[in-house]
Amino acid sequence: MKFVFKPAPHYRSPQSTSGIMRDLTLCLLAVAVFSVVYYWMNYGSEVGLRVLLHLAISVCCALCTEAIWFACTKQKVVDGLLSSYGWVTAIILTLISSVNVSHYALGVSTVLAILFGKLVFGGFGQNIFNPAAFGAAVLMSTFAASNVDLVSGATPTQAINAFSWMTTADNVNTLIGNYGGLGNMFLGQYVSTMGSTCAVLLLLCMVFLIVRKDIDWQLPVFYIGTVFVLTLLIGLMKGAGINYALFHVLAGGVLFGGVFMVTDPVTSPVTIPGKILFAIGAGVFTVIFRLRSNMPDGVLYSILIMNMLYPAIDKIFDGNQIKNAGSILKKVLIGACCFLVVGLGIGAIAEVKEGSVASPSSSGSAPAVDVSLGTPISLSGDLATYKAEAEEISNDGSVATYHCTARGFGLLDPDGIASHTGHEYSRNEMDVTVDLATGTVTDVVLTHFGDTEGIGDIATQEGVLAGHVGKTLNDEVDCVTSATYTSESIAAMLQAALNAAAGN
Amino acid sequence: MSFLTGPMHHHLEGHKELTSHKDILNMTDPDVIWVPLMNGNAPCTPLVSVGDKVNIGTKIAERNDHFYLPVYSPVSGTVVAIEKRMSTTLKNVDHMKIENDHQNTVDKPFNPIDYESVSNEELLEFVKNAGMLGLGGAGFPTYAKFTNPTNVDLFIINGVECEPYLTADYKNMMENLSLLKTGTLALLKLSQAKKGCIAVKEDKKDLIAKLQETFNGTNVEVRTVPDIYPAGWERTLVLLLTGRRYDRLPIEAGCILNNASTAIALADALVNGMPLRQKYVTVSGDGVKEPKNVIVTIGTPAHDVIEACGGYTSEEVKVIAGGPMMGNSIPNDLFVVGAPVNGLTVLNYKPEKEVKCLRCGKCTETCPSGLEPVRINNAEKIKDIDTLVKLDVNACIECGMCSYICPSKIDVTEGVRRAKRYMALKK
Repeated sequence: MKFVFKPAPHYRSPQSTSGIMRDLTLCLLAVAVFSVVYYWMNYGSEVGLRVLLHLAISVCCALCTEAIWFACTKQKVVDGLLSSYGWVTAIILTLISSVNVSHYALGVSTVLAILFGKLVFGGFGQNIFNPAAFGAAVLMSTFAASNVDLVSGATPTQAINAFSWMTTADNVNTLIGNYGGLGNMFLGQYVSTMGSTCAVLLLLCMVFLIVRKDIDWQLPVFYIGTVFVLTLLIGLMKGAGINYALFHVLAGGVLFGGVFMVTDPVTSPVTIPGKILFAIGAGVFTVIFRLRSNMPDGVLYSILIMNMLYPAIDKIFDGNQIKNAGSILKKVLIGACCFLVVGLGIGAIAEVKEGSVASPSSSGSAPAVDVSLGTPISLSGDLATYKAEAEEISNDGSVATYHCTARGFGLLDPDGIASHTGHEYSRNEMDVTVDLATGTVTDVVLTHFGDTEGIGDIATQEGVLAGHVGKTLNDEVDCVTSATYTSESIAAMLQAALNAAAGN
Repeated sequence: MSFLTGPMHHHLEGHKELTSHKDILNMTDPDVIWVPLMNGNAPCTPLVSVGDKVNIGTKIAERNDHFYLPVYSPVSGTVVAIEKRMSTTLKNVDHMKIENDHQNTVDKPFNPIDYESVSNEELLEFVKNAGMLGLGGAGFPTYAKFTNPTNVDLFIINGVECEPYLTADYKNMMENLSLLKTGTLALLKLSQAKKGCIAVKEDKKDLIAKLQETFNGTNVEVRTVPDIYPAGWERTLVLLLTGRRYDRLPIEAGCILNNASTAIALADALVNGMPLRQKYVTVSGDGVKEPKNVIVTIGTPAHDVIEACGGYTSEEVKVIAGGPMMGNSIPNDLFVVGAPVNGLTVLNYKPEKEVKCLRCGKCTETCPSGLEPVRINNAEKIKDIDTLVKLDVNACIECGMCSYICPSKIDVTEGVRRAKRYMALKK
């Protein structure tokens, strides 16, 4: 007979850390499955598989890094891996990245996230920064240029950031319309980072994790709530409307970060007042970064900055939570007021950018366009360098169609391009139909595209081309930012066709 | 304030059905007993010598420092030795070994009185002489609570029994309703409170019905509390019943509390003139073959009680004096059932795999004292005395909630105990 001696209590809750991490992994996998299905259905199996491959590479890199670390530090490798939960970091990092990131950039970022975001601090439970946010910051600041352009089009945060985060109600509605409306955004039917789009799924994950007591409800509710309330007030103050606040919450990483990153217990305070203040602070920083910095989305850095503050927040609320209830309440109120006043102040001084963002084609059938525009090009201006030519291919007396050719982006580097493409310059061709009586463009069809895929072709999207319909020699046409040469090449062809029609 | 503090309690799986409706085993005629000569941390002076003949009710020892507590013999027989045994506090203390002659000769130490007709002073003196002590676990002399009852507006009988597995109070109340009524009304009189209440958990439907019938027409109300831990702790119970918090003693919040078994024992003395000689003890857990409630003579070794319940189910068990949350596990089963022991929980040993703290803060949210056990553990590791003082370590009652709730299976409570011991050393 053996009598075991252990200190009381002798009764343990069925909930375990590995159980919490299992629930978290299940939720993350649900989001990942949504992402794979979305890209597979909308962009083909290649892109769908790419999401899967991203996940596999990131998880492998995380586990390998940890295995090597545990082996080098003479810890038990399998036990270490099972109680370090590196895969959670890897999946989160993948889901907050764009599908366009290169595999190696994601892999290297994962290694750095695990190594410098977590292991050097002493491993799971000891790290100051959310490792996934750390990895994403590395990925954004170091590997931005390695992106491939598989899925083009700006994400909602890029689109509004390219214009201005503080804009008019009309522009907000246009932007929401560009992504298929609020309903579509709730269902996640648009391109953004891989995991952050489907609001409905993310909210379901949040409810599941709260009901299972895996996360504290205060963190996501106060974080998302702060972003919503603050942008609602700013929106009302600046006349940007109620949809402005919804756009802030739905676009970008607010929901994903609110459910999966702000809630990371390791990098948030231990007391409830601390958690509330932490979440409010992160929400206010998110709004500030959006309105006042050049980052497209402020979620990552707001979380990283609040991570830095959690030891201080813990210290503020140290002590008996009952006996100090009064002073704790005072501290929470003062802290929350300070954060909100700063947030509202920043909102108050933000200038509303007037003008209008690109709206979808009026025909309604063309896909939504989300491009940012530079200085418009005058069709009567000097576009001679593009050497545009127009050749009449049909003419019924009222309308004439011209086959136009023009140099493209290649004119910047005539020798280089000429030698390896066989063309004198990169060359664009299109058929332009002109109403002879009024001298206006009635149809534009691109027949050959000779510029750089992934850059110049932003200016040749159907929606942009449709925007040229109705133009005369006295008008200006849109110039798409980052595709200036292609835009001008198209303008030169329009000019040639209109000139030919005028001479007819 | 629970918006900022968390729930500060938690529902525990009670496993009370293991014993709550089983027959009670009577073990009131043991061959030999060892009466612990200890009350709390204070020794009791023996008043009889080895070889003396004692009867049921013979005063065999007394505590006589700042508290007075007589100890009466629970059996008739011969004192054969005074020897050291491990007690439920894990210390070796003197026990008086008495061999039972099975004659059950009674030597009444006091006469029954009618609590309604005597003055409060006489009643208090009776309680003091009858050796009444808190049977909920603390063993605090009962009379001491009533020496100066000013501004008491609620007298509470605590029948909550929030420890998992334990059903001894429930069984005792179910079996002795009329004694419970007498004891409760006598204590209510002593407390000079305008009204009294008896608190039980809301899931004990049968008991609530019987209590309402019993106390019908008195100014004692049956109050229910939710099935949460630690609803039976004085502070939590006072908070649940009155919404008041207090600093040191419940009387600051206008309340006096007594355990239900204490009221029943007092009634036995008032009505029958008999001192405390036996206890309802729950023997339960997955480590014992036939879990049930047992009426045990004070001084019976745990080994005999567990054997009477069919013995152990495995070769490696934890034997816990009390419930699994606050009871000590004892490295043998030779300790005896003393007055404050209300359960023997026997659990098969299943080692818990401890992983690193993930700082989830669950221990802070459920701590009924409003402490931050995780912060206390961290401060204790680096022996940061200033932070420990700030964290109010000594407000901990060692209820065990922080270890229970910890998803990483860390012995959080033990860390807080270490911090308390370290603080005591540094003072």
